[in-house]
Amino acid sequence: MMRALIVTLVLLMPLPAFAHNVIASVFPSGSAIEGEIGFSNGEMATGQVVEVFDQTGTKLGETVTDGDGFFLYTPTAPVTHVFRANLGAGHVAEMAMPADEVAAILGVAAPEAAQPATALAGPAAGQLAAASLTQEERQAIAEIVRTEMRPLRQEITAYRNHNDLQTILGGIGYIAGLFGLGFYLAARRRLAA
Amino acid sequence: MHIVDGALANPVVIGGAVLAAGGIAMGLRSLTLEKIPAAGVLSASFFVASLIHVPIGPSSVHLILNGLAGLVLGWAAFPALFVGLLLQAVFFGFGGLTVLGINTLNIALPAVLSGLMLGPLIARSSPVTGAVWAGIGGAFAIGATTLMVAASLMLSGDEFVPAAQFVFVAHIPVMVIEALLTAAAVYLARQVKPDLFNALQGARP
Repeated sequence: MMRALIVTLVLLMPLPAFAHNVIASVFPSGSAIEGEIGFSNGEMATGQVVEVFDQTGTKLGETVTDGDGFFLYTPTAPVTHVFRANLGAGHVAEMAMPADEVAAILGVAAPEAAQPATALAGPAAGQLAAASLTQEERQAIAEIVRTEMRPLRQEITAYRNHNDLQTILGGIGYIAGLFGLGFYLAARRRLAA
Repeated sequence: MHIVDGALANPVVIGGAVLAAGGIAMGLRSLTLEKIPAAGVLSASFFVASLIHVPIGPSSVHLILNGLAGLVLGWAAFPALFVGLLLQAVFFGFGGLTVLGINTLNIALPAVLSGLMLGPLIARSSPVTGAVWAGIGGAFAIGATTLMVAASLMLSGDEFVPAAQFVFVAHIPVMVIEALLTAAAVYLARQVKPDLFNALQGARP
């Protein structure tokens, strides 16, 4: 009994149950959609199952985050992709990638913009500029850029969720002001009575 | 402890908001002139307490201090904690604005319960016994809050037992710390300002 309790404790403690906010984002990454899931305290969600849905809620598939909280999903249809991960204890991450971005990844035009038959004729405009490079070169460059961007992205996320002294003092100031106002109103009512 | 936007089903969010509005209305009626400064101070401590991370083992926990607010304020803990939660959501992005109601309910209702049950006991007993009761109140408020969080998740479709276990077990260290902190705070208040509890209890309508 005691051992079972300890095992449960050990299993549960490392989970970021006290993290406040879930941070998640998705972005195009070569022919796939890359995303990251983490908590506002800088911990990343590792080994987290991410379910992928389309706009109407039909499940398209699922993927799992790696050791750095990143996941990859290769889209097959140019529709809006909604990524949803339940991190437990009331933490849910949900992010969406609109249909035209998915279409750009797939190299086809968005379904509402053109007929599929003509869409297959050529790649999206953004990819024409890199046409002189081979597919391998393009992928290698994309891979390098992604790796270089990762720490930056994480730093920006951490910075965005950083609470500095000014914010805290501002909040306390609001509280003082609000309760001061309440005090003023209550005192005026009592004086009038 | 803060449930984020999108984690709960709509009926739970709406129900929580309605109940929290009722609690805030109750609290505002019992918020007398004498209580307002105490409510402001406790609201500010609640607001800041969530930023104090206490490292325990591989993780870290943050304080909530809702038990203390309930013991001192009674029903007036509702508006005090609501203001704290609102500012946390706006300034730090903890929780979210749509789930503000249910979060207020989950945190303030246990506070009020511990205040209603133990407040009179603390006022009547000696400082040391009062501190023990206060410690129990502080731990109870956290425990009840975790159960309410689990219940909110269950009403939204999660399984109750794993969710409750997860949140409850994760907050055992918080319960211990809050019990000690609440006990110390109440003991100190009784020593330096013995009439605090009696005055505030007396001010209750």
